[in-house]
Amino acid sequence: MASTVIGAGITIEGEVTADDDVVVQGTIRGKLTSRDAVTVESGAVVEADVASGPLSVAGSITGNITSSDRVDLQTGAKVVGNVKATRITIADGAQFKGNVDMDV
Amino acid sequence: MATRDASTVIGRGTHVRGRIAGDGDVEIHGRVDGEVTLEGDVSVEQGGLVASNVSARRIVVRGAVKGDLVASESIVLEEGARVVGDLRAPRIAIAGGLVRGYVQSGDGQSAPRAAAKSVARPVATKAAVVAAAPAPSAARPAQASNGSPAKKAAPPAPQQVAHASRDRGNAPRAISLAGGGPAAKHGPPSPVVPSLKKGAKGALKKKA
Repeated sequence: MASTVIGAGITIEGEVTADDDVVVQGTIRGKLTSRDAVTVESGAVVEADVASGPLSVAGSITGNITSSDRVDLQTGAKVVGNVKATRITIADGAQFKGNVDMDV
Repeated sequence: MATRDASTVIGRGTHVRGRIAGDGDVEIHGRVDGEVTLEGDVSVEQGGLVASNVSARRIVVRGAVKGDLVASESIVLEEGARVVGDLRAPRIAIAGGLVRGYVQSGDGQSAPRAAAKSVARPVATKAAVVAAAPAPSAARPAQASNGSPAKKAAPPAPQQVAHASRDRGNAPRAISLAGGGPAAKHGPPSPVVPSLKKGAKGALKKKA
């Protein structure tokens, strides 16, 4: 169980800063920062810049993504924004529009 | 409410700066600086800190809140709760913790709201302090205290409100007919200051 869960049906407008992992099932508008893993589940809407550790996306993110670890866009994910991460996977069926920046 | 099962947790190391809204239950272990407005239940757990108003169906506090709590069903303050702000809900239980603020239980429809606010406020504030003080005696489980400690707190306020509304029983009609009539009736006597004619002050000064 993640230490922070934004449940479906919940909307946060503002800034979320976490030390531990975050699971988003609802909506966040603003900014999302975590030192640990972030999971954006199917049905979740994130209209925010995301800075995190490992990021796993099955929902929708509109905003720039910066990860100190890997970013996984799963089937059904929809991402619009630039992604900066050490590793990126984009599953078949994920929608993505934006630049990718990996430490080459 | 299709998303009843959806539970939101603001973890210990998490800080939310902004509004939290929607329906579903929220458990706060971390810090929230921003309004919390929900259809579901909110619990501010030990170590949790909310620095703004909270409105929800039911509110349980074991942590700290600096802001007003408004619940459509009930508010329960448990051991360790620290609240600086007003509480308003049909049922309020203070089973421990510290409160500084105005407490109003009951549906609030029975008394005219304006009268309750303007007249009963200072008295009710005392009632809130009284309610907070004997809290340890109400160390029974909060679930059982569906208003039993609140009953200790509640009676003074409704009585005051009742007085207020009784005093004003005739007033509204009078007010609607003649604006300042009742004010003259109930108001303080006019100050005993001799009224001087225009220019009289100057004349006195000249003499002196």
